[in-house]
Amino acid sequence: MGEALNGPLIVQSDKTLLLEVDHDQADACRRAIAPFAELERAPEHIHTYRVTPLGLWNARAAGHDAEQVVDALVAFSRYPVPHALLVDIAETMARYGRLKLVKHPTHGLVLECTDRPVLEEILRSKKIQPLVGARIDPDTVAVHPSERGQIKQTLLKLGWPAEDLAGYVDGEAHPIELNEDGWALRPYQKQAVEGFWHGGSGVVVLPCGAGKTLVGAGAMAQAKATTLILVTNTVSARQWKHELVKRTSLTEDEIGEYSGTRKEIRPVTIATYQVLTTKRKGIYPHLELFDSRDWGLVVYDEVHLLPAPVFKFTADLQARRRLGLTATLVREDGRESDVFSLIGPKRFDAPWKEIEAQGYIAPADCVEVRVNLTDSERLAYATAEAEEKYRYCATTATKRKVTEALVAKHQGEQTLVIGQYIDQLDELGEHLGAPVIKGETTNAQREKLFDAFRQGELSVLVVSKVANFSIDLPEATVAIQVSGTFGSRQEEAQRLGRVLRPKADGHEARFYSVVARDTVDQDFAAHRQRFLAEQGYAYRIMDADSLLAGEDA
Amino acid sequence: MTTPRRPTSTTGAPRTLAEELRGRPDDALAALLLARPDLINPMPGDLTQLATRAGTRASVVRALERLDRFALQVAEALAVAPDPCPYATLDALMGGDERTDPRVARELPRAVATLRDQALVWGGEDRLRLVRTARELLAPSAAHPSPTGLGPSVAEATAGMSPGRIQQIIAAAGLPATHDPVTAVGALTELFEDRTRMAALLDAAPADATAVLGKLLWGPPYGTVTAHPAPHLRWLLDRGLLLSAGPGNVVLPREVALHLRAGRAHRTPEPVAPGLAPVTEHAERTVDATAAGQAFTALATVEELLKEWETGGPPVLRAGGLSVRDLKRAAAVLDTTEPMTAFWAELAYAAGLLASDGEVDERYAPTPAYDDWLQLPTEQRWTRLATAWLAATRAAGLVGGRDAKARTLAALGPDLDRGPAPEVRHRVLALLATLPPGASVTPDTLLARLHWERPPRATTGPEEDLRTRLARWTVTEAELLGVINRGALSAHGRALLPASEADGVRAAWRPPTDAELGAAGVRAAALLAPLLPEPLDHILLQADLTAVAPGPLVRPLAQTLGVLADIESKGGATVYRFTPASVRRALDAGRTADDLKAFLTGHSRTPVPQPLAYLIDDIARRHGHLRVGAASSYLRCDDEAVLAEILADRRSAPLRLRRLAPTVLAAQAAPDALLAGLRDMGYAPAAESAEGDVLISRADAHRTPPRTAPAPVPEGPPAPDATLLGAAVRAIRAGDMAATAERKPVASAGPAPGGLPRTTSADTLAAVQAAVLTGTPVWIGYVNAEGAASQRVIAPVRVEGGFVTAYDHTADEVRTFPLHRITGAAELADDPA
Repeated sequence: MGEALNGPLIVQSDKTLLLEVDHDQADACRRAIAPFAELERAPEHIHTYRVTPLGLWNARAAGHDAEQVVDALVAFSRYPVPHALLVDIAETMARYGRLKLVKHPTHGLVLECTDRPVLEEILRSKKIQPLVGARIDPDTVAVHPSERGQIKQTLLKLGWPAEDLAGYVDGEAHPIELNEDGWALRPYQKQAVEGFWHGGSGVVVLPCGAGKTLVGAGAMAQAKATTLILVTNTVSARQWKHELVKRTSLTEDEIGEYSGTRKEIRPVTIATYQVLTTKRKGIYPHLELFDSRDWGLVVYDEVHLLPAPVFKFTADLQARRRLGLTATLVREDGRESDVFSLIGPKRFDAPWKEIEAQGYIAPADCVEVRVNLTDSERLAYATAEAEEKYRYCATTATKRKVTEALVAKHQGEQTLVIGQYIDQLDELGEHLGAPVIKGETTNAQREKLFDAFRQGELSVLVVSKVANFSIDLPEATVAIQVSGTFGSRQEEAQRLGRVLRPKADGHEARFYSVVARDTVDQDFAAHRQRFLAEQGYAYRIMDADSLLAGEDA
Repeated sequence: MTTPRRPTSTTGAPRTLAEELRGRPDDALAALLLARPDLINPMPGDLTQLATRAGTRASVVRALERLDRFALQVAEALAVAPDPCPYATLDALMGGDERTDPRVARELPRAVATLRDQALVWGGEDRLRLVRTARELLAPSAAHPSPTGLGPSVAEATAGMSPGRIQQIIAAAGLPATHDPVTAVGALTELFEDRTRMAALLDAAPADATAVLGKLLWGPPYGTVTAHPAPHLRWLLDRGLLLSAGPGNVVLPREVALHLRAGRAHRTPEPVAPGLAPVTEHAERTVDATAAGQAFTALATVEELLKEWETGGPPVLRAGGLSVRDLKRAAAVLDTTEPMTAFWAELAYAAGLLASDGEVDERYAPTPAYDDWLQLPTEQRWTRLATAWLAATRAAGLVGGRDAKARTLAALGPDLDRGPAPEVRHRVLALLATLPPGASVTPDTLLARLHWERPPRATTGPEEDLRTRLARWTVTEAELLGVINRGALSAHGRALLPASEADGVRAAWRPPTDAELGAAGVRAAALLAPLLPEPLDHILLQADLTAVAPGPLVRPLAQTLGVLADIESKGGATVYRFTPASVRRALDAGRTADDLKAFLTGHSRTPVPQPLAYLIDDIARRHGHLRVGAASSYLRCDDEAVLAEILADRRSAPLRLRRLAPTVLAAQAAPDALLAGLRDMGYAPAAESAEGDVLISRADAHRTPPRTAPAPVPEGPPAPDATLLGAAVRAIRAGDMAATAERKPVASAGPAPGGLPRTTSADTLAAVQAAVLTGTPVWIGYVNAEGAASQRVIAPVRVEGGFVTAYDHTADEVRTFPLHRITGAAELADDPA
């Protein structure tokens, strides 16, 4: 079609963009489309980006205009771009910024418009009415300061995103410096911190083991203000504390822990989601933690797990800088857009394989082991109640035997066995002679076992889903997943993340997923693997029989 | 035909339209018949009949509707001008006293010539006459305000006013008293028409009064007053500047309005067509390439729709057409809106690719022509669609709207034909073709131009008139088809127009012949072909179980891949996803796992990923266990019951069938014997090819019997071609010669005692109508209600609804004669002997 139309990009009618990664111009193209298109899948040859209204508006917020977007598409596209699509993009982008949230010198927070019919339209919406106050003049309406998040979220849903120019409060200043002694922030971590700081608030997506804690620490060193850090559980809180003391100028005394056991509020406070969402007499007593200090920065670790009450409260925190950290922004409940509207847009995203290529996370070999159930097991499975089917097939004795064989095969390597069902894990622990960490294990006991594992005194550890997140076990090289939370894609990615910390000897990590053939287990596994497959992790599929017979790929 | 006619001398001036037509050269007559083809349907016997027919209401309305805006404005001005009207008067009416717009004077001869060509205006330059029907249609009346916004003249408005009141008025206007109302009205008219005296009169008007005049100035000229008008209104009424028009109503007389308008009949005369500006320039290359891309998408969409409908297509509604639910379903399949889906379906229908199968439970299905179409090269497939679209009278844009009886118009249903559709489509494209390549104008600019060329009919509802809507749809549809892009005509779109239109020459439109369309198609195809993407023969396989075809695929590859994998996203490329279900589908179609892997290896630029190979193996493992045996033929059927039935049937014994699987029988009989045997048993088996490679079963692809594409349904009679026109003119001349040659003897022999004049009813009507126009008496034979015959000499005044209103010289009264009781009519001899 002529030389001008020989680019690496193909624009699809459903507004996805296909980028041929082996093309000469692929890198330039990626840079051009990254501001407005969301990377959706990154397998080996063709990456898929999606153009969404949210992405286009975020691009507008970051200072890109429709012309740039259209130019990028036209310049790199292999085939002529349908005109209707370009018009649609321009129209979508033109919707942004007609409404602005600004600080009025006398009326406080107000919503201003440059297009009066739009203001009239949105003021007629029932969802907007409770959020706004008096009409100040035909183009301006007062907004209750506490509804800043809510109104932004609602306007986004109505398709008229507001540009938030009301700014941030600085919060209570507190000196924080990075202690770059013998280490330094990696280039992508620096980019992530810069991207976040430049944008004000937002989400940073980095693979497991790529050092998200350091991005948090970097952001704190930028903010130099009191910081509230929200994490998933106590063990993770301790790890954050440990890491912060080691990597920054903060001392133990400056960092408080706000959890079930301790309730310290210090310039830097680490709280767990669990304690925040504890409900007593119909109220969340610990949510006032948000107001207990004039926080300058709020860090949400594992933002994809953000519980609903925190969502609600975060809406009221729009005047404070917010940083979300995650490896997998896929929520099975589909609330990704709430994360984007309440915490902020995605400010940085790196494909897993790219970080792996830079050597910051270990390469991993993912293997799905298909287990043939015995005839009696198949019969029992076939007659099981529908809601029991997954549990049954995921915990069969055949699977246990295969798991044992796998552990035996990797004898001498630090191995994690991860599962969902406690009785299955207990049984495995018994057979393998390995300790089991589960919900009822005390924090002290957990830390002790993790330490022993890190030191190499223990080589096999059986863990339940408590270890899904934020457990730093750098030496684990083999993970065997025996069961999981149905088809959760992010759980699969998090579990793989347990073995992705770079190994001292550059050793390749191994991730096994043991799956019962011809059952729902297999279907769930296929769904679970989708995120990683889209990130370029090619699962090999092996038959348990050939594996046990000693063959290996 | 555009050169203004030389003024005819007063002595030789024609007295009737028929007379003038008689004096016109043959080619002028041919031009008239071409512009008004309804005049030769049926063929008029002579020029008198032609002139009569040209004066009938229906024909005049039709002719007026086809005038451009300026010609119409001129006709409107003539309708408010004195009859006959000298050219200079008309010029003043159009240009105003000050002649502000020189273009008016420049364009006026053209407009008058147009009206003359159409036989709407006749007479010499000093006595221009608008045909009476047109005058009646365009002249202002209380019920039909004139588009000029002018009211009735003083003479018309004062008709019926008491002479005393008239005398009061002229006294108040400062005129001397006269003896009778007629001269009084004449004096008043004269005063109003005299700019100087009138200005002096109006100078004395109170300020409020001037404001009132200003309000009525450009129309509507009617206002209301109370029983006791305010002083300023009284001032106007006293002087006749406002005249009473029924109780409580007043009207601004035409002469007063014209004075205030400085002589102009129209507020804004529009002597020339609005230009197509502002023009947006696009790169010609981009326009052509993107339009070609869109053309490709259009083909893919039509193909996808028909593929969807080739098995179990939607049923035909009892009233005809597609149900709303089926349209919605098809829209979901195509991932587009319902109006667009209706367009694609109508397009396929117009191109003869889709039709109803005519069976008992009638369904829509692709026609055999669709299979032929699929075999054509891409560019020819496109031209086939594009030419069908251009010529079709069906308007897909109507779908979803309601007809006059408030019934929803269904896609593919009846009542979607709109005669002007092809003409509007051609005109829109032809207008775009006048722009340089790559240039575009907004649809509103185009519409402004179209509205000038053919002013839209006023509509009652909020909807725009049909031609406007057709024009809007044309722009949208042409964009969808890839004829235009970014509002600019593509090179292949330009080629679709006949050569003359593509150059922007505007002639009277006639539908292109099949040969012309074919030639245009060939030109367009040649331009389109190099712009279309080259079909690819490879795909990229990825470990997340997707395959990406980075462009259109060659047909066999696309077909096989379509069976083996599900399509996830479409556009420039196609993304396929392999799922267990899709792999099973391929295995069901008779493929083996090795076969599939070989197929993927053969067509993939990248190695087949392990998970994909494993998926295929895993599915194949469960799909069937291998057995080897010898059989002469086999029999497959998805319905196990049918196979069981066949096995149980004793007549199947000679075929030596054996059940291999629930859905497969092996036979020891040869395939042809098996086929014949099964047919004898009353089944309808289909044979599979020996290679079995393309196993997309044709058996269940449903086709209609051969169908022809729907013929365009043009509005009104077709435009005559040159041969027909020539013949028509000759025939009319000949008839005219005969009529005029015969007339004299008849006229002189007419009053022979006892005999009633006898003429055919057509001639009677023509004679009576001609008499109305000329105001001459005719001699008629008349049979009254009792059956008594009589001869009468009447002066017809009006012919309407089968009745002649006339002054009966014989009875000395005005009476009405039913036309069917008139046995015949003849002109009286010119010189009463």
